[in-house]
Amino acid sequence: MSTVSQLALLFIGAALVNNILLTRFIGLCPFFGVSGNMDTSIGMSLAVVFVMMMASSATWAVWEFVLQPLGVGEFLYIPAFILIIASLVQFVEMYLRKASPVLYRAMGIYLPLITTNCAVLATATEAAKPGFFKMNIALGASLSLGEALIYTLGVSVGFGFALVTFAALRERLDLAPVPRLFKGSPIAFIAAGMLSLAYVGMSGWFGL
Amino acid sequence: MLIAKAMGALAVIGLGTSAVLATAAKRFHVEVDPRVEAVAAALPGSNCGACGNASCFAAAEGIAMGEKPVNSCVAGGQKVADAIALIIGAESCVAVAVISARHCGGGTNAVRAYTYVGVMSCAAANRLAGGPLACAAGCIGFGDCQRACPFGAISMDERGLPVIDVHRCTGCGICVKECPRGQISLLELVPEAAPVVVRCNAHDKVKGRKANCSMCCIACKKCERECPSDAIHVIDMLAVVDYEKCTGCGTCVEVCPQKCIDLYGRDSAIDVKAADGAGPGTTAELAEPAEPVEVGA
Repeated sequence: MSTVSQLALLFIGAALVNNILLTRFIGLCPFFGVSGNMDTSIGMSLAVVFVMMMASSATWAVWEFVLQPLGVGEFLYIPAFILIIASLVQFVEMYLRKASPVLYRAMGIYLPLITTNCAVLATATEAAKPGFFKMNIALGASLSLGEALIYTLGVSVGFGFALVTFAALRERLDLAPVPRLFKGSPIAFIAAGMLSLAYVGMSGWFGL
Repeated sequence: MLIAKAMGALAVIGLGTSAVLATAAKRFHVEVDPRVEAVAAALPGSNCGACGNASCFAAAEGIAMGEKPVNSCVAGGQKVADAIALIIGAESCVAVAVISARHCGGGTNAVRAYTYVGVMSCAAANRLAGGPLACAAGCIGFGDCQRACPFGAISMDERGLPVIDVHRCTGCGICVKECPRGQISLLELVPEAAPVVVRCNAHDKVKGRKANCSMCCIACKKCERECPSDAIHVIDMLAVVDYEKCTGCGTCVEVCPQKCIDLYGRDSAIDVKAADGAGPGTTAELAEPAEPVEVGA
């Protein structure tokens, strides 16, 4: 699979139909932790796009050239991927601090938060060995690096889209006349459930 | 054999990444001025933004580089200014103490022009024909100031009016910016004496004003006549206190027939009494005080 329409399907499937936050429920900690206001959610989304792209390409290479040829991937991928993702984020943080202090100030708080996030691990795993989390049935048996990156971009954009939408909802919820029992987190969880129902409505699009 | 391979693979990945990180730590090492960190530690760290910087750390950098005066921290006041002056070895200058004060006694005393149903935010209500209050200057009472205050100094009382905790207020002025009515304004705090505050800022015609609120200033000039230190004057149909002259004797508070002049710091006692029975509005119409919004991180 590598025609343009198939790549577009790969992207849409990852971003909307199988949205990682709202239909797969992976990465719920940042979903509730940083969705308090728009500014933090936008910063977090950008950082997630960045980290996921870096992590996916690194783990794809390790899977393809180290773990798979040695035949140890099936049981070693979680420790190996966590190791790679965590040190990659550390490296990026150091590099940004030196190279671009402004970007470091903007992203610095969020980068370490994402280090061991399950969403990043899930995306990296799925990009390296498709079908494992059943996040996108349109995936073939294995992906080329380009396909893996488009898939990752789809997941991270879907993540950011859901996060920013939810932050906008929560900003309104804070001002809404919500009964005292439901104020704060409870109504946020209920709203998240409704939002996820809306996303589930997309399942089956284009046979995804 | 498989175990050996697995251990080997993990060891190689681990050693490889740690080698890369170790080199990066050396190569990308950034020197941080120790004074910046010391100044940052001396600042309150609430990131209120009243100094004009995005964060306390940015302010610390500016101060340490000598681009900003040592007393730039509005919230920290004299104490922080002195501490910072000690760190960077500069002369300390006097920080002017200011504090937030509410100029409205409305709340349950104020007449409502219509029943507002919608987002419980003063900014939103204010856009709808100038808010639900008949008085164009009155406090809407949905607590935008309370949510904005980074120091938790503002609470909403049972009349739907903000009460400012004098001990927590740092005079950063964020509530002033947030209030769509200009309802809260900064006043200079005279250190020795307790200053008085006029709980009304309506500038419209006195006659219409009286119909809108039972606690408005009626410009009778009683306070002006009785004040022993010539510190209070009716300007533009509203009593205004001159804080340079005010001694905080409380004469105006006693003589005011409308009970709209109050000793600062005694934020609730007087107007609550006046509100009993007299208020045309009911507490049920007012918003519940909202809980402070947490900024997630």
